[in-house]
Amino acid sequence: MRTTPRTRMTRRAAVGTAAMMLAVTACSSSDSGGGDDGGQITLTVGVFGQFGLEEAGLYEEYMELNDNIVIEQTSVQENSDYYAALLTRLPTGSGLMDIQAVEVGNIYEVTNELGQYFVDLNDYDVDTGHFMDWKAAQATSEDGRVVGLGTDTGPMGLCYRTDYFEEAGLPTDREEVSELWAGSWEDYIATGEQFMSDGPDDVKWVDSPGGVFNAVVNGYEERFYNAAGEVSYKESQGVSDAWDIAMRAVDGEMTTKQAQFTPDWERSVANGDFATISCPPWMLGYIADKSGDAGKGLWDYAAAPQPGNWGGSFLTVTEASQHKEEAVKLIEWLTAPEQQVRLFTERGSFPSSEEAIANSEDEIQGVTHDYFADAPIGELFTQAVDGIPTLIVGPRDQVIQEGLANGLLAADTQGLDGDEAWDATVRSIDNALDD
Amino acid sequence: MTTDRTNAAPPAEGGAAPRPAPDATADEKELRRRRRRSWRYRMDTKASPYGFVAPFFLFFGAFGLFPLLFTGWAALHRVRLQNPGEMEWAGLHNFTRLLSDEFFWNALANTFTIGILATVPQLAMALGLAHLLNYKMRGQNFFRVVMLTPYATSVAAATLVFAILYGRDYGMINWALDLVGINPVDWKNNTWASQIAISTIVIWRWTGYNTLIYLAAMQAVPRDLYESAALDGASPWKQFLHVTLPSLRPTILFTVVVSTIGATQLFGEPLLFAGSPSGGNQNQYQTLGLYMYEMGWMNFNLGRASAIAWSMFLLLILIGLAYWAVSKWITRSTGGRRSSR
Amino acid sequence: MSTTTPVTPETTTPVLELDGDKPRTPPRRAARGGSGAGRQMQAGWVTYTILAVFVVGSLFPLVWTAIAASHSNTRLAQTPPPFTFGDRLWTNLDQAWNTGNMGLALFNTMIVAGAITVSTVLFATLAGFAFAKLPFRGKNILMLLVIGTMMVPPQLGVVPLFMAIAELGWTNQLQAVILPMMVSAFGVFFMRQYLVQALPTELLEAARVDGANSLRVVWHVVLPVARPAMAVLAMLTFVTAWNEFFWPIIALTQQNPTVQVALTGLGRGYVPDQGVIMAGALLGTLPLLIVFAIFGKQIVGGIMHGALKG
Repeated sequence: MRTTPRTRMTRRAAVGTAAMMLAVTACSSSDSGGGDDGGQITLTVGVFGQFGLEEAGLYEEYMELNDNIVIEQTSVQENSDYYAALLTRLPTGSGLMDIQAVEVGNIYEVTNELGQYFVDLNDYDVDTGHFMDWKAAQATSEDGRVVGLGTDTGPMGLCYRTDYFEEAGLPTDREEVSELWAGSWEDYIATGEQFMSDGPDDVKWVDSPGGVFNAVVNGYEERFYNAAGEVSYKESQGVSDAWDIAMRAVDGEMTTKQAQFTPDWERSVANGDFATISCPPWMLGYIADKSGDAGKGLWDYAAAPQPGNWGGSFLTVTEASQHKEEAVKLIEWLTAPEQQVRLFTERGSFPSSEEAIANSEDEIQGVTHDYFADAPIGELFTQAVDGIPTLIVGPRDQVIQEGLANGLLAADTQGLDGDEAWDATVRSIDNALDD
Repeated sequence: MTTDRTNAAPPAEGGAAPRPAPDATADEKELRRRRRRSWRYRMDTKASPYGFVAPFFLFFGAFGLFPLLFTGWAALHRVRLQNPGEMEWAGLHNFTRLLSDEFFWNALANTFTIGILATVPQLAMALGLAHLLNYKMRGQNFFRVVMLTPYATSVAAATLVFAILYGRDYGMINWALDLVGINPVDWKNNTWASQIAISTIVIWRWTGYNTLIYLAAMQAVPRDLYESAALDGASPWKQFLHVTLPSLRPTILFTVVVSTIGATQLFGEPLLFAGSPSGGNQNQYQTLGLYMYEMGWMNFNLGRASAIAWSMFLLLILIGLAYWAVSKWITRSTGGRRSSR
Repeated sequence: MSTTTPVTPETTTPVLELDGDKPRTPPRRAARGGSGAGRQMQAGWVTYTILAVFVVGSLFPLVWTAIAASHSNTRLAQTPPPFTFGDRLWTNLDQAWNTGNMGLALFNTMIVAGAITVSTVLFATLAGFAFAKLPFRGKNILMLLVIGTMMVPPQLGVVPLFMAIAELGWTNQLQAVILPMMVSAFGVFFMRQYLVQALPTELLEAARVDGANSLRVVWHVVLPVARPAMAVLAMLTFVTAWNEFFWPIIALTQQNPTVQVALTGLGRGYVPDQGVIMAGALLGTLPLLIVFAIFGKQIVGGIMHGALKG
């Protein structure tokens, strides 16, 4: 592994020099595939963010099991950068990895509109029976091609600060807290109103209006597209409910008025500027990382008002790969129940495999999170998975969702009222979707 | 060589070359040698200018002209990023729709206001600084080098730092404002505040550079102009106004144009300021370059992105023409003034 | 011939004259040569104070980058922000270096900026010389084309350029960012403006009389005269290429980045650490800052002497 960067560098150097001398035709033209020197096969994996596969030691184990395989991962931090690059590369077939990770927000487009650039896993007799039905369905095209295998899912709960709850005179026990808003986002907002009046002055109820919107809308089957595949966010019940709930948070001045995942927002996480935040499994690690020692022991984890899923990814094999068979074997192994369980116990990414949850019940149920007051997250996530609807996904889910979050933030920061913000949002999204 | 040129280029060159006789004399050899040389010479003078400009135009053709024309062509089609080879004719649709595209006009207006906010204070400060640096002083070079260092900082690095300094709740600038009793400003979400914040990044990076340019021009102003102005009893301020400024007019115009072109193409600062191509949640500071980027790389609509790019080009041509006209006018008026003196 | 003193081009007139083969005579009355040209008033404390404010303003963001790079993420998130150095500088630099691929990025950027600089200066000098001093058919039209090219926004070419690069299979490879930048219209314009005045026509004719061919003329006459302007153009080009941002972010990715591409990856992470981001910014800027610190005087002199269009 140590030598890898250096060999890459020398190749770059050669390329650069050649370009200088205009001998460009002599340059190698493809980045994909990797070499197979002496029976060694290099499989390249492209992921975004902290995907966790490498961190959990799964590559290492696979390479030990398979002497002839070398796995090289490249990670792009932000999915929007990663996906834009992937898109520009796919039609040309150059610069692609053997294996490419795909976020749930992009899986529809990859499966249905870009399917021809990916390997149909049916051709390799891959068993997809162990995945949750809705997860498998998302990576299956209308004509039955299977282009991706699920890695993790994002069953949502709510993280909350026990110290602030106590100050506001609210219960702090996680079961009692869950009871406060069980079954109703309205109750969650109502609790927020109470918190705003009784809680500490400089602490908000929730991190961001976009976060509230996301959490609510992901509990509905129909969000941005209807079953017929048409854009329907303007009429869908999910969007309308989620918008209203989020607007109540806005009107009640309950948020820190930021967009999620911006540096400013991260600072408010670090400083504990809010009392609750929607928490899919991957958010736990995020909070622990950001808040550090200052927040240790102050956070706890309760059930969300309604079950929903936020995030989760897939692994695909590109047609451009020169080692399709080996790559398919690798992703099959990486997403197999045993490995999914390991990904959960080591990295906290919750399995997308039903079998993994069923087979390793004890192992999963026993997982607790010491940063969150030893919350039994294995048990809680397993409960949270129940009742997650089969989301209808569409090609431009991400654009629509970002547009709606932007609109809510505008209402929050620029004093637009709900209708103005909605109109502006619709114009913006329609403009983005328009041909 | 001059004589060579006149007498050794007979029009008979193309005619039958003298067959080398077996008893060829040294004279004849010399003649042939000269003739060959003159032919080479003429070819050399004729062809070499083209040879010298050829590399430029070769690369320009491949990487400048071709994309320019192709973008124009793509702008007339429906093309998507996922499949750029597949084009569907759309006529002028992508252009006409810009006319009613509020986001385009918004981006145009933002480009304009940020351009003004970034250029005017920048050049005014540069002018003032150049004037000060023109004084006799200690540490001249120190000041000059320090003023230029922001220029060496990349847009990306500068914007990252400024984005943190401009943080709403934990940024240093709001913290300092708070010290003097000013309420925190939402530098990311407020329209004017965000545009000012982005302008300061541009100003910070370019003021020093322009200062040096002005300083160079100031040092080229003939000293006797000042002397005669001083004799007429003009104060230093009057001298600056009536001697320095008029002499600097062409330079000022030039920096204005360069800054304008830069402002029209402004992209990196607003993109990295909050890390999103939408330029704020209501596109408060989305510039044309950013809108094009969002359209092409976030919405995957290459046809529309190309149309935006072309309208930027047309805009710059207009600016260029205006520059040309004004500079002609200035040379004429300056020249007139000079000769009348 | 190399001892020819180049005449400074007239600095105050960047207006292009297409018909100007004849050198525009610089106003003789302008006091040239002496660095103390112009009126020299003694600077008072007001001047020093104002300048000091600008010095602080110019340096503060850079210094604070270094300060921020020496703190933990948690510390940076607190108010008041830190004003002094912390103890995490090496940790953060190390992390930026490793996670951000900064080593590769710096190496790549050096190759890219170096290649672009060499070719831009070379081709601009050749073309600038031809436009300034050689008669040829179509010269004015071609020069107009060069000027027009300066107006082309870089964003314009990106879409088809990317398609061409993809067609050639160059995505994510360095030649994708080098080749499109190998010439610059500004450079040609810049060199032409300089050579029109700095290169005496008699010198060329003398060389011709001696029997030199065009290449020899370029080598022995033009290049020595053009050297100061070439140095300035090289500096401008290198800094621009180093900081080039728009095209690389599209053509390259974090896998094979230039410094600017690597920085954007650091800035927008899943669990980004501001201290590490600042450390990355520091790493990406430091090489140029060091160059400025060492050669600052020459660079400033070059910008002011060589010409001033930027």
